This record gives sequence, structure tokens and C-alpha cells, in this order.
Amino acid sequence: MSEREPVLSAAGLTKSYQRGRETVRALDAVSFEILRGEFVAITGPSGAGKTTLLNLIGCMDSPTSGTLRIGRREVHNLRERERTMLRREEIGFVFQHFGLMPTLSVAENVALPSLFARRNGSERIDELLERVGLAHRRTHRPHELSGGEMQRVAIARALVNQPQLLLADEPTGNLDSATGDSIIALFQQLNRDGLTIVVVTHNATMAAAAGRRIALADGRIVTAGAQQS
Amino acid sequence: MNWLTLSRNEWRRRPLRTGVTVAGVAIAVAALFSLLAFHDGYQDGVRSEINRLGAHVLVVPKGCPYDAASMALHGANWPCYLSTNHFEEVRGIPGVAQAAPAFMAAPTASNSTQTVYVGIDERMLALRPGWKVDGTFPRASGEILAGAEAARSHGWIVGQRVALPALPGETGVVSGILQPTHGSDDAFLYTRLSDAQRWFQKPGQLTHVLVKLKDANLTESTLIAMRGCDAGMDMNIVPLAHLFRTIQTVVNSTQLLLGCVALIGLLVAGAGVSNAMLMSVSERSREIGIMRAIGASRGDVFRLIWLETIQVCAAGAVTGVLLAFVSSHAVESWLRSRLPFAPSDALVRWEWWVAAACIGGAMLLGSLAALLPASRAAELSPMEAIREGART
Repeated sequence: MSEREPVLSAAGLTKSYQRGRETVRALDAVSFEILRGEFVAITGPSGAGKTTLLNLIGCMDSPTSGTLRIGRREVHNLRERERTMLRREEIGFVFQHFGLMPTLSVAENVALPSLFARRNGSERIDELLERVGLAHRRTHRPHELSGGEMQRVAIARALVNQPQLLLADEPTGNLDSATGDSIIALFQQLNRDGLTIVVVTHNATMAAAAGRRIALADGRIVTAGAQQS
Repeated sequence: MNWLTLSRNEWRRRPLRTGVTVAGVAIAVAALFSLLAFHDGYQDGVRSEINRLGAHVLVVPKGCPYDAASMALHGANWPCYLSTNHFEEVRGIPGVAQAAPAFMAAPTASNSTQTVYVGIDERMLALRPGWKVDGTFPRASGEILAGAEAARSHGWIVGQRVALPALPGETGVVSGILQPTHGSDDAFLYTRLSDAQRWFQKPGQLTHVLVKLKDANLTESTLIAMRGCDAGMDMNIVPLAHLFRTIQTVVNSTQLLLGCVALIGLLVAGAGVSNAMLMSVSERSREIGIMRAIGASRGDVFRLIWLETIQVCAAGAVTGVLLAFVSSHAVESWLRSRLPFAPSDALVRWEWWVAAACIGGAMLLGSLAALLPASRAAELSPMEAIREGART
């Protein structure tokens, strides 16, 4: 796969659901491409469809219509088992509320996806903890960490299976601005190292740090931004 | 980290709930294990005790045959007696190979200790081929054959003249000491029949007669002959095989009832485990959804919850077996104080395979208890989990 080949491409992606008798179109024929190595921010007001789009990109939900490709593979009509494999192998997730397991240590939290992938990732865990600056915290439990540290652990966990795509839902939404800035810097560093990142954010600094911005309103793309060269 | 450590970590989250759930399983397993251990021990104990008598039939005075059997086996004071004539009639019945008369009494000393004296003659030796005597069987007046435990507790040696316990003013010579039989014989003092009758002022009287038949398969016809003889109306003829079966049937019925209660207890414990795991899954739905989002398959989540349940049940089962083991002396004492007939052998007998079966059974129960919570957890949608995370 060449560097400029799309890692993600959506065409006419639509997601509707029923709210009582009303049919709500959370996403309405959204089309875009994200190239390998891009850092893309998805922005828009609440209810614009950002999280719905992230769920579809992350293979946690299926579109009502339209096509979605990750790499060269069509993923919009995959079965649950195949979607799980894809999430495990190709996608890393970072959540606003970190989503760490409170009973596990930092190192164990980072190792969790490699357990699901039946891999021994012990060396990779040490490397990732070094990379996010938390090697000294490897035996600590999440409640012993600050918000910024917890988000760094979540980022290390998202990277443990070496995904080609990192998805983050409001990764700075639960952090103060200084800590948020350090997380943005970490995302920029990861992107410079070649990782493709898609972030849903309300944070203007994060959106500005991303190389491209896709703005949504009422389930439609209002600004797609220029693809990064 | 592996699957086992991942599931074991969850125990720390709610230690009190985990402890209560484990305790529920432990109590049920302890009850079941104790019951099974008692079943084995009691059955073998009664059989050994009756075998040690060396007879097919016990002839006792009229009254409750089970009380009489218990007294003959364990030693006690008898409320009524047979005469030597009864013995002679029994001995003369066709089909009787050996008959041994016995006079038993259990006087109590001033310090409240009871000593069991059994007056016998050489005919008893034919019924007890397993007896090994250091010294000689009592042949002269005043000689006694001490059971191994009785000799040990009094510090007697062969040839020693001793004051007879609980018989003030009487002395005797220890002509022999019985090697351990691991039955009640070990605690008895055997003496000549005439000496015992004289000491207890019952000349010509017997407490029981032990009878060995020529052919154990002809028990029924011999019993009919015994009951039909002139003395038949004054005697209780107790075939020991029937006695064993009757005792065992009564005890088995009680055990069946208790077994049902223990099984219900185990099922209730299983329901408790299932309920605790359902609560746990409900509280952790967001985390389980996040696990699904980061690559856990439905099977992985099922396996995780299943392992957690199995571990709780295994911990409960091991604790239950240990609990039963630790409390076995108390259980045995309690059973002895309540059973109408308790053999002198251990009532509760531990078998490793019974312990393994109890632990295996509890884990099987855990597997069943895990089905509902593990299925619920596996069905959770990762997307719902993220929404939940955004709301909280």
C-alpha cells in the first residue's frame, strides 16, 4: 500500500434510527477519504453526528446505507465476528472517560488488547509506556493516576496491537487545558511517527493541531478540509 | 497477564460480595462433603463392628434387639438376662456350628469411669480367630484378659496382680493382653464366665450368646428352629446381617433426606453465585463494552465471566472441603451423641476422590451458574458502552 492510498474511505454513508415513530437521520450521505498518515479532526455541534460517524468508522455499528472501506476492505457489511477482528487488529480506540479497567495495573491495562489478540506484547508494553512517559507508573492502578496519565495509558493501550488507525472520542474532554495540550502534543508526535489519527473533538486547539478538519452539522459534512500533502 | 489473572482481579473489586458468595458455596459443599464422608465411614464402621463379633446370630433377652446389639457391641449394663439353659438349647439346635455364652457388666468407679467386664469361656476363641493374645487366655479363677487400650490406660503388664477397676476389694492377675483390634474389644476386660457371674452376683445367668452357623446361607431355617425351641419365647434371635441391613436402611433414609437438603443448599448457592455475577455484569457493563471495543470477542467476554464464576465456585468448594475437614471432630462428636447406634470406628471417613468429586461438582454447578451472566455480558454492544461512557 502506498503512503497516499486512503486508509479510510466513506461513500454515501447514512445512519438512520427510530425514535418512537420518528426516523432520525444521524448521518446523511457522508462521503470522505482519509489518507494514510493524516491527522483528522471531526468537529461540529452536539447532535451533528460526530460520535455516530466515529462508531461507524470504528466498526462498532453498521451504516443504514453507503459504503465504508478500511484500506482496501469493505467493512460496512461485515458480520460481528469480522468487525471484532478488525477492531482488534486495525483500529485503536481512545475514549473521553479513558475506559481503563480499575482492577488492573497500568501495564495490565496496556496489555489487555494483546491478550484479546492472543499475543505476547510484554516488550511492546514497556516500549509504549516509555513512549507515553509512564514507565515509572507501570504497577500503579488507574485510581492512583491523574487524568492526563490515565489518558496516556489509554493511548498506549490503543497502540499495543499496532493499529493502522487511531480513533479518539473527545480525548481532551475530561482534562484541564494544560493536560489537554500535553495529550494533543502526544497525538501530534504519534502522527509524525506515521500513525493515522481521527479525533472527534470540541477542543479548538486539538482541531487546529490536526492537519485536516471535517466539520459536521445535522449529519452532513459542511467542511471537509483539504487532504494533507 | 493471562485470562486467569484477569478474572481473578475482579474479586478485589467487591471483596465483601465475593466473600459472601464464596461462603455460600463453601457451606453447601462442606455439608455435602461431610454427609458423603459420613455415609462411607458409617457403613464401613457398622460392617466392621459386626464382623468383629465373629458371629452370624446374636441371642439376647427379650427387649429391643437394636439396644441389645448396641450393648453387646459397645459394652453396657444389661437390664435382663438369659439362663445357662437357654444357651444349652441354642447350642443343641441343628445348624449351629459354635455358640459362645457371655456375661457383660459395666460398673462405674467412684471417679465416674466405667469399666466393661465380659465373662466368656474358651468357646469365644472359635468366634474370634483374629485375636492375638500376649500371654494366655484366662483359665484360672481371678485371671483377666485385658484389651489393648484398657491395659495401656491402666499401665498393666502380663502376670501383674491388679486391683480390678470399679470392683472394690477384688483383685485379679493379668494373664494376657489382647493385641489391638481397633474395635470395642480394646477397651474391655475379659474374664472367666464364672468369675464375672460371681463378681456381679448373677450365678448361672448370661447377657447374650454369640452364635456361628454351619452354613450362613441356611440362616432362615436355623432361625426358625431357634425361635421354635422351648426357650424361644424368652429370647430375641437377632441375625446380624439383618441387623446391619436394618440399621443401614434407617440411616440411609436419613442420609437421603439430608442429601436432598444439602443438594438444595448447593443449588441455592449456585443461584446466589449466578445472581452475584449478574449484578457484577450489570455494574461493569461499560467496562465490558470497552473491552469489546478494544478487541474482545463475544467469546472472550463469555470466557472471562465464566472463569470468574468458576473461580468463585472453586474457591468456595476448596474452602468447604477444608471447613468440613477442620470441623470433622466436632461433627463426629455431634453425630455420636445423636445416633441410636454408632460404631466405635471413625464415623466420618475422608476420601480424596470424594473431595475431588465435591470440588468438581461445585465447578460444574459454577459452569451452569455462569451461563446466564456470561451470555448477558457477551451480548453487550460496544457502542452502547461508549454512549454510557459519554453520559456518565
